[in-house]
Amino acid sequence: MVRFKNRYVLCEVVSEDPQCRQCIEDRAVGLAVRDAIGRVHGDFGLACCSISFTVKYLNAYTGTVLLRCRKDSYRLLCSALPFVRQLESRNQRYPCFLNTLHVGGTIRTCQKFLIEYNRRQLLLLLQSCTNEEERRCVQKSLLRCSLTEEQCLSGNEDDDDDGTETD
Amino acid sequence: MALSEPAAAAATFERRVLRSAGEHHYLRVWLELPDGGARPSAAQFKQLVVSALRELHGEVGAALPVDVLTYEEKTLSAILRVVSSGLVKLWSALTLLGFYQNRRCAFRVLQVKPCGDWIGQQ
Amino acid sequence: MSLPPLQRLRQAPRHLLVCEKGHARHARSRHAAHVRDHAYNCRVSFLIPECGLLPEVLKSTIADVGEYYLVRNLPVHELVAHDFIDAFVKKGSCYALTYKTKIDQDNTAALLPNGNLILSVDKDTYEELGLQGRPSKYSGKKVMRYIITIDLTDSGFHPDSKKHNRVLWALKENKPLEFDFLLAWYHTGAEGSTLVSYFSKNQIETLKPKITFSTLRDLQCPLLESNELYGKPEESCSTEELFEWLGAVLNQVSLDNKSSSFLSTYCCPQPNTIVEKAFLCTITGFIIPEKIIQLLEQLCCYFGEPKLACWLTLTVHGFADSPVSWRENEHGFHKGGENLYNFVIFRNLDYWLQMAVGTNDDCPP
Repeated sequence: MVRFKNRYVLCEVVSEDPQCRQCIEDRAVGLAVRDAIGRVHGDFGLACCSISFTVKYLNAYTGTVLLRCRKDSYRLLCSALPFVRQLESRNQRYPCFLNTLHVGGTIRTCQKFLIEYNRRQLLLLLQSCTNEEERRCVQKSLLRCSLTEEQCLSGNEDDDDDGTETD
Repeated sequence: MALSEPAAAAATFERRVLRSAGEHHYLRVWLELPDGGARPSAAQFKQLVVSALRELHGEVGAALPVDVLTYEEKTLSAILRVVSSGLVKLWSALTLLGFYQNRRCAFRVLQVKPCGDWIGQQ
Repeated sequence: MSLPPLQRLRQAPRHLLVCEKGHARHARSRHAAHVRDHAYNCRVSFLIPECGLLPEVLKSTIADVGEYYLVRNLPVHELVAHDFIDAFVKKGSCYALTYKTKIDQDNTAALLPNGNLILSVDKDTYEELGLQGRPSKYSGKKVMRYIITIDLTDSGFHPDSKKHNRVLWALKENKPLEFDFLLAWYHTGAEGSTLVSYFSKNQIETLKPKITFSTLRDLQCPLLESNELYGKPEESCSTEELFEWLGAVLNQVSLDNKSSSFLSTYCCPQPNTIVEKAFLCTITGFIIPEKIIQLLEQLCCYFGEPKLACWLTLTVHGFADSPVSWRENEHGFHKGGENLYNFVIFRNLDYWLQMAVGTNDDCPP
């Protein structure tokens, strides 16, 4: 019984078009990524990546996407991600691109990274605030996220078992 | 990769052993087409090889440097040269190609060699 | 063998290229021994730059490459019969190789000039045959191929010895093996009976090697420096570059490509010169090493008189399906079955020898 090793690729959808957010959904992202792999690596690459490929987590509000694939083929997946140019949903196309943030072996490490990353983003936001109202708002959410961090981690302890499968 | 042994026999004697040092592999192929109909020209032939690569290995495969060293339009046989790391890609792509201009076709790989020399088997 | 598919995708079959440098007239030079050890050769070609017409001496050497014989459906036990051993094997160099058998799927037999008969057989035949052998080196964990070596000139292999009777029984009654054989015999001294008369009751054909000449015009030739196996940038080419170029010339690949050409980006290695004409001769057949040594000797003598050419090459291809490459080193086909060597002889009689083998081979001597 050998565990299948997976890789989780954490990326964010970046788009100029605010409407794009609506169409960030599992199917659309999955299709767009598959399409890119098919174009860049052909049938063979697509077949390699398709083993256990899935969109594991998706947050339409922040644009965060977590993709899963086999460890053998994550290089193919990562190299194809920059070639995603648009998301398509309900016959609407929105130009966008995927920004790879992190590649991890478990969902847990990706989650840890995401929390850390978002906190850094908040600090950056704080620096670029222009008025008092914004500053107060950001500070509040910063405080909130540092307070709930412990709880949040212990609450999701079981999560990393999701990413592993046994044969 | 190169390993030279100390000169043993004579002052000028020197021996080098190169393990899989050849940068290229050579394939002698033959394209099987049903009789009649247009035969591809050299450029079309190369295009066919590239399209086979694109189909199976995508743009990355199509970017593989493949050289058509010789091509005979009459017999549809050719010698291809490819970097060694792309040999398996090229071979698999040729094997899985099924159509030329909507006609059935098949590539037969006759010989695969790591060095530039070719043997015409007796 | 359990590489992930993506790594296997980048892996090409292994091969070996051995390059040697030496002097042809040196007392301890082994170049002739290397030629002698490579028993089965199917193609010999040589290229002389700056040569329009072949000297008479070379012409007669080529004409004298000798004939070889093809015997159809010859039972193998005829080769271990004592009449045959006494008449041919012990009185010269006798070469035999099965014709049109595939080393990776068929049974194959070969008789080496030192009197060793080598049978490369699959597992079923091996078990039926009941002769002692050893598993093939390249058949993997589950052995599917065995090599049987019988020394015909062994003192214990006289008629009526147990060993001889066992071999004869195995090959005659237990599992009669029949092949088409290519035969050649080299001997010096008194004329004995010939292969033709010996095998007259079998179908024996006398074949002549096919010889083709061609003169190549305005050929781009790489510059070589006999001391520089590795080549020097801007000054001379390395052995690998030469090897590749030679392959291109033998296959009539056009060399004047631009590196931006769509079809092919191959060009002659740098630095090079344009040679007005070059002489290319190819001999195909079952060519025995003794004749190749003669040819090599004549090619060395070519530089006895002052010549324009700085070097010439002699390329010898072995049979892809022969069971041995050099000496008794086992040879397998794998993807290409290549076993070949190439001499470059320089004006000062320095030589380069390149020996190449494929995946299922030992390192050349």
